[in-house]
Amino acid sequence: MTAQRTDERDNERRRAEHEPLLRIENVWKSFGTEQVFRGIDLEVDRGDVEVLVGPSGSGKSTLLRCVNRLTEIDEGAIYLDGERVTDADANVNELRQQVGMVFQDINLFAHLTARENVTLGLRRVRGFGKSEARDRADRELANVGLSDQVDSYPAQLSGGQKQRVGIARALAMDPKLMLFDEPTSALDPELSNSVLEVMERLVEAGMTMLVVTHEMRFARSAADSITFLEGGQVVERGPPERLFERPERERTREFLESIYG
Amino acid sequence: MASSTDARRLTLPEIRIGRVLAVLAAVAFWGWLLTRWINDWVLARIGIGPGAGVHFLEAEPFETTAERLAASADAYGPFAGVVDWVGSVVGAVGVAVDIAPVLAVGAWYTIVLTVVSIVLGLLIAVPLSLVRVYGGPFRWLALGYIELIRGTPLLAQLFVLYFGLPFAVWLHGVETIGQGPIPDQAFIIAVVGFTINSSAYQAEYIRGALESVDRGQLTAARSVGLSQLEGLRFVVMPQTLRYAIPAWTNELVYLIKYSSLAAFITVPELYYRASRIASRTFEHTAIYASIAIVYLAIVLTATVLMSRVEREVAIPGLGQAEGRHQGKTEGERE
Repeated sequence: MTAQRTDERDNERRRAEHEPLLRIENVWKSFGTEQVFRGIDLEVDRGDVEVLVGPSGSGKSTLLRCVNRLTEIDEGAIYLDGERVTDADANVNELRQQVGMVFQDINLFAHLTARENVTLGLRRVRGFGKSEARDRADRELANVGLSDQVDSYPAQLSGGQKQRVGIARALAMDPKLMLFDEPTSALDPELSNSVLEVMERLVEAGMTMLVVTHEMRFARSAADSITFLEGGQVVERGPPERLFERPERERTREFLESIYG
Repeated sequence: MASSTDARRLTLPEIRIGRVLAVLAAVAFWGWLLTRWINDWVLARIGIGPGAGVHFLEAEPFETTAERLAASADAYGPFAGVVDWVGSVVGAVGVAVDIAPVLAVGAWYTIVLTVVSIVLGLLIAVPLSLVRVYGGPFRWLALGYIELIRGTPLLAQLFVLYFGLPFAVWLHGVETIGQGPIPDQAFIIAVVGFTINSSAYQAEYIRGALESVDRGQLTAARSVGLSQLEGLRFVVMPQTLRYAIPAWTNELVYLIKYSSLAAFITVPELYYRASRIASRTFEHTAIYASIAIVYLAIVLTATVLMSRVEREVAIPGLGQAEGRHQGKTEGERE
């Protein structure tokens, strides 16, 4: 009882002292013998866009999955809005409601229409009524330019349209934070643009975002800061201009050059 | 171009004729069966129609024709064999007409036994398959049940339930058992046996379908804030059951035929009644050919109904290759 009260006071204090929306603190994680993270620290402020880059296997996607606990961390802590979400007794379903996620392989619910993909969470998680959920879904789909596709099934949509439904589905939950896990890497370049446009509009609207992407144009224009991950650690972090123009580490320069190609 | 139009002109009427014949056969069979049931159990009670178990058609004309053909066969010289054969077919029709009322009652038992067992089996199979795939430490329990049931003969399972365990005695002691619409203990035990048996098979079919649903579907459901169980209920299961329909139909067809094993624990279904008459009259060929036709008609009806259900619940891209590959593989790492 007292411990809990102290915790609550602690949380309030943190929020008051300009706690970042997302704080990742000394996170360690291994899959079997393979060490994925060796003490990751990262803070993302409200309204900021953080882009994660790094070579394949550097754990970028895993880090996103740790944030909404699709993957559990071994050591360290993750705080969302001052609350320690990696505690064993933290409510995972509530956390995930506050953290929207967009997947590389899109993962639209294959048996549901675009509208139903959005309403499922609204109805089952947020307890919306039928018509309320429907209105909200149609609004979210309109925002991503899919008003004319609300009744289409995933198989009837293009990759770019599917991914925009995926974004609408996540946004309908009114998340505080959006995680994007290589949202365009499974799409043809001309289809990626429609998705990137939606993301750029989200940035303008002030959404806090953690984005894994190889779209360096997006990273450069939209990111407040870029984090370069390798070997389970943050190699370098900084605003895009600095990281692209004058990286401090040789390895960062090499990597960025290699993907600019 | 012209030739392909010709080909279409040739095949279209053929398809129509096939369809018409199939529909006519279905109407004749189900018309007879339903009329029989309604006559025996409803109309006969209130004194309308020919009365319960009374023949709609007389077998005698068929029998006399058959006898006449057999007697005169020699007169047809080289065609004697053909005439003789026609005679025996007409005789078999006579036998079929004679036993038709009994077959109708047996078919009722067969159909009820199958439908009730497969539905109850499905209710067990769905959670069973979920435990088998997502049940963590309980997976072994589900696996054990499934393998035990699938690995032992159905007949042995029925014997254990009926003769081995004291259920039959208990049920016999219950007063309402066998009264009015409540079936007797043998029927109830047969339903239990078939339910248990088909639940194991159905669970395996559903497991196969469950594993063909991309894991990313559940991940996505959970990322929205649904619990694991809600994700399975609202996202994974609706897709799984659609994938499972063809294999499930297979189980239904098996069960229709395997329900005949209930005869060995004295359930008066189709096979039981037929075999009783055959052992009395020795008309084995005619009698078993008759029930074969009844089984075939039930099985074909079930198959047609299930493919209609499959079409009815179909969703674009689901159950086809593109639906299955929609998410491709999902790795823990990028």
